[in-house]
Amino acid sequence: MANLAKAKVGSDRNRTFLLILIPVLILFVAFNTFPLLTGVFYSFTDSKGYGAFNMVGLQNYIDLFGDARVGNSYLFTFKVAVVSTLITNVISLVLAMGLNSKIKFKSAFRALYFVPQILGALVVGYVFSYFFTYIVPALTGTGSILASTEWAWVAIVVVCCWQSIAQTTIIYITGLQSVPEDVYEAGNLDGATGWNLFRYITFPLIMPSVTTNMVLVMKNMLMVFDQIVAMTSGGPAQSTESISYLIYNNGLSGGQFGFQCANAVIFFILIAVISVAQTKFLNSREEQL
Amino acid sequence: MAKDAFGAKVKEKVNWPVTILLLIGLITIIFPLYMAVVIAFKDPSEMTNDIAGILSLPSSWSLDNFIEAIQVTDFFNSFLNSLIITVVAVVISVLVHSIAAYAIGRNMDSKKLFKWSYYFIVAGMYVPFAILMMPLVKQTAILHLDNMVGVMILYVVFYMPMNMMLYTGYLRNIPIALEEAARVDGASTWTTYWKVIFPLMKPMHATVAVLTGLAVWNDVMTPLVIMGGQGVNTLPLAQMSFQTAFSTNYNLAFASYLLAMLPMIIFYVFAQKQIINGVTNGAVK
Amino acid sequence: MLNKPISRRSLLGLGAAAAASTMLPGCSDGRSDGKTEVEVVCYKQEAVSIFEKLAEEFNATHDDIYLNFTCPADAVTIMKTRFVREDYPDVIGIGADGDYASFTDSEIFADVSDCPTMDEVQDAYKEIQKSVTYVPLDGYYAVPYVANAAGMLYNVDMFNEHGWDIPQTWDELIDLCKQIQSEGEVLPFYLGYLDTWTILSPWNSITTNLVPSDLARQVNAGEAKFADYYRRPAEMMLEMLDYAEEGPFAYSYNDACTAFARGQAAMYPCGSFAVPQIKSVNPDMNVGLFPMPSADNPDDRIVVSGIDLQWCVSKTCDHIDAVYEVIKFLSEPENVQTYIDDQNAIPCLDGNFDIPELFDGVQENLDNGKLLDYLDHTYPSAMACDAQLQTMLLSGDIDAFLSKWDTDWQRYNRSVIRKVEAYEEQQ
Repeated sequence: MANLAKAKVGSDRNRTFLLILIPVLILFVAFNTFPLLTGVFYSFTDSKGYGAFNMVGLQNYIDLFGDARVGNSYLFTFKVAVVSTLITNVISLVLAMGLNSKIKFKSAFRALYFVPQILGALVVGYVFSYFFTYIVPALTGTGSILASTEWAWVAIVVVCCWQSIAQTTIIYITGLQSVPEDVYEAGNLDGATGWNLFRYITFPLIMPSVTTNMVLVMKNMLMVFDQIVAMTSGGPAQSTESISYLIYNNGLSGGQFGFQCANAVIFFILIAVISVAQTKFLNSREEQL
Repeated sequence: MAKDAFGAKVKEKVNWPVTILLLIGLITIIFPLYMAVVIAFKDPSEMTNDIAGILSLPSSWSLDNFIEAIQVTDFFNSFLNSLIITVVAVVISVLVHSIAAYAIGRNMDSKKLFKWSYYFIVAGMYVPFAILMMPLVKQTAILHLDNMVGVMILYVVFYMPMNMMLYTGYLRNIPIALEEAARVDGASTWTTYWKVIFPLMKPMHATVAVLTGLAVWNDVMTPLVIMGGQGVNTLPLAQMSFQTAFSTNYNLAFASYLLAMLPMIIFYVFAQKQIINGVTNGAVK
Repeated sequence: MLNKPISRRSLLGLGAAAAASTMLPGCSDGRSDGKTEVEVVCYKQEAVSIFEKLAEEFNATHDDIYLNFTCPADAVTIMKTRFVREDYPDVIGIGADGDYASFTDSEIFADVSDCPTMDEVQDAYKEIQKSVTYVPLDGYYAVPYVANAAGMLYNVDMFNEHGWDIPQTWDELIDLCKQIQSEGEVLPFYLGYLDTWTILSPWNSITTNLVPSDLARQVNAGEAKFADYYRRPAEMMLEMLDYAEEGPFAYSYNDACTAFARGQAAMYPCGSFAVPQIKSVNPDMNVGLFPMPSADNPDDRIVVSGIDLQWCVSKTCDHIDAVYEVIKFLSEPENVQTYIDDQNAIPCLDGNFDIPELFDGVQENLDNGKLLDYLDHTYPSAMACDAQLQTMLLSGDIDAFLSKWDTDWQRYNRSVIRKVEAYEEQQ
C-alpha cells in the first residue's frame, strides 16, 4: 500500500476523496433531493397528500402570490428570525465565554444551561404560557402579551431564544476550545487585554463558529413551528402564523398539500439564497490557520 | 475542583464575578425547571389558575405520577427503541459526516465538484420537512424501510447538512501542514484521516454527537409518520398519549418528560468532558 | 484497501438492520392460526382501555375471527400515512368530521348500507352523517356509534344553590349573566379564547339556531351568502365577552376548564368533550348541559351534536362479513353502555340506554332528534375559521369579518365548489 501511495499520490488521493463523496451524495439524493422533487411535482397538483389528485398547472403559484395570509406569514417569520438570531448569538457568545472561563461548578453550570434544549415543547409551551399569562401581567400590571396582536411575536422571540441559546452556546464553547492556548499567551505578551483581546484575537479565530451559528440559528428560526403551536397556535388574530406553521397545518391537516408544497418550494429557494449569501459574506471574514 | 482534569490550571484564581453572574442567569433555567418538577409531582386536582397555586409545592412528594408514566408509556421498551435509534444514528453520523466533510472541506476551495456538493448538501437544511414527509412515507414503504432502520437512515440524511457545516467549519482550524507531514511519511489519505484528522476533531465529534443525539432523541414527527401505529414506540411517540384531542394530563406528561430528560443530561455531561479532553490532547500534539 | 471504508460502513448498516429487524413485529398478513384478522384503527385514544377489553372478549368468543384493535396517538396522521402507503386498515374509527369528509372524497371507504347494524342507527344521526360530506352521497359510508353534544355547560350545584333558572331565550341568558355579575361572587363565563378552536364551540351552538342547516351547501351552489346570516350570531358572540373574564384571549382551553372546575365561573360554553378535562381538576363536580338559548322561539332550540365515533370500512377490505360481525359485537347494547358511561357519550343507536346525567338538560332534544351537526365540520380547516372569529372578537369589526368570510370561502372551497357544480349538472 505504501508503494502504491508513493507511485501516484495525487490521483490516489483524489480517488479516495471521490469514493467518499459519491456514496454520501447518493444517500443524500435518495432521501432528500428525490422526495423534494416529488414534493415539487405535488406543487403542481391539488393533492391532499393522499388519494387521487388533479394537475392544476401553475395555479398554486399564482394563488400563492395573491394570498395575504401567506404574505403576512413571511413578514412575521423574517421579523422573528432576524431578531432572534441576533439576540441568541450575542447572549450565547457571552455565555460561552463565561462558561469557558475559570469559574466554580463548571460542569454543573454547563449541564444546567443545557437544559432548555432537552425540555420538550409541551413543557416549554406550558411554562412560558404561564409566565406570560399570569406572572408578567402580575409584575407589570398590563395585560398578557399573548393576547396582543402587536406584541405576541415578542413572546415567540423570547421562547425561541431561550430554547436555542443552549445549542448555540455549545457550538461557541467548542469554537473557543479550538483556539490554541498559546495564541492567548502571545496576545497577553503583546499587552492585549479584555475587549482588545476579544476583538482582535478571540473573535477572528472563532469566526467559523460565528458563521455556523448565524446560519444554523437563522435556519432554525426561519423554520419556527413547535413554539408557535405550543404558545399561540398562530393567534391572536393570525398575527403569529409562521411559514412552517402554515405549511404544516394547512398542508397536512388542512388538505391543502399541493398549495403548501408550492409555498414550501418558494420558501426553500428564498432561504437557500439568503443563506448562501450569508455564508459567503461571513466566510470572507474567516481565516485559515 | 482539585481533581479536575485541567492539571496545572487548577491553581489559577477562580473568576468569582463571572461565577456569580452565571448563578444569577441560572434563574431563567431553574424557574421553568422548578415548575416542571412541581407539576410532575402534583395530582391533576391540584392544578390551579393562579400564581400562588401553581408555584406551591405538591401536597405530597409521591412517585405515583412517575410510576404511572412509566406504565403508560411502556417506558423501558420505548426507552430501548429510542436509545437504539439515537445511538445508531449518532455513531453513523459522526463517522460518515466527518469523513464526508473532510473530503469536501479539503477540496472545496480548489475543485468545483466538491464546492457544489457542499452547497448542495447544506442547502438541504432548508427543505421544510412538511414537503418531504408524504413522499418519504411512500418511498420508505416501497423500500421496506417503514421501520426503525428507515428512521435511522433518514436521521443520518436529515442532520448531514448541519453536521457538514460544523465539521467543515472546524476543519479550517486544523492546519493542513499536519496532514502534509503525514503524507510525506507515506501514509495514504485514508490512514491520514483516521490517524491524524479524526482524533483531532474529537471536540467537534462530541458536539455533533450531542446536537444530533438530542435532536433525534426528542424528534416525534419522523417516527410518527414512518413507523407510527405499528406498536413499536419511541419515547416521544409514547409520550403523545398524554395529549388527547380534548384533554392533556400535564402531570403525567411532565413526569415522563423529566424521566426522558435524565439520560440526555448524563450523556451531555460525558460529552462535555470529551470536548475538554480532546482539546488538551490536541494541544500536546 | 480502498474498498475498506465502504465495506466497513455497509457492515455497520447490516448489523444495525439485523439488530433492529429482530425487534420489529412480524408482518401481520396471513395468520398462522387460520383466523380472519380484522384490523381496526380508531382515533379515540382516550377509550383505549375499553376497546382493549372488548377486543379481548371478542377474541375469546370467536374462533374464526381475530380482532386487532388499536388506538394510536395522533391516529389521524397515522391513517393518512397508511393511505399514502396504500396499506388500508379494515376498519377506521373516526368522527363524522372534516377528515371523514376528506377521506370519503378520496373514495377510501366502502358503502356500508348493507351492514345489519345500520338498521339500528337513529335517523337523526344518519342525517347528521349525510350532512358532513362535500356533496350528498347515496348510501352510507360509516356506521355511527356514539355522539357528543355541545351547548352551555353549567355548574349544577351552583345553579341550585343560588336558585338560578336555566335560561330559555337569549334575553334570559343575558339577564342571568347580569344577575350573576351583580351578585359578584363568580363570573358568568370563563372563556379560553387563546385556543382558537374553543371559539367554535359557542359559535356552533349559537349559529345553528339562526341559520338554515344547509347554508354551506347553498353558498357552494351560489344561492346564498354567509353575510346574510352571520351578523346576528357574531353580535351574540361579542355580547358574551362582556360577561367573561378580562382579556379572554390570553387564557387557554386548559385555563378555562380549570377555572370552571374550581367554581370561578357559572357556565362554560363548550361541549361534552370538555368534561373529562374539567373533572380531572375537580372529580366531584356536578356538570350539566343546556341548549344554547339563541333561538327566537325556545321550542325551536337545537342542540349541536356530532358523531364522535363511527366505523368506516375500507374499500379494499375483502372480508366484509367478518368486519360486520365485529361492528355488530361493538354495537351490542351492553358494550355501548360501557362506552357511554365511561366516556360521557350519547349512543347513536336505538335502544334503551341509560344516558349519562350530563345530558339530562338536553334529553328532550335527544328524544325528539332536534339535533344538528357542528357547523364547523363543513368549514375547510385551511381557512382557519376559528382564527377569523378570534379576529372579529378582538376588533369588534363585524363588517370586515363578514366580507372576508365570504371571500375566503370561495378561495378555500374552490375544489369543493367545483365538485358541487359537477354534481348539480349531473342531477
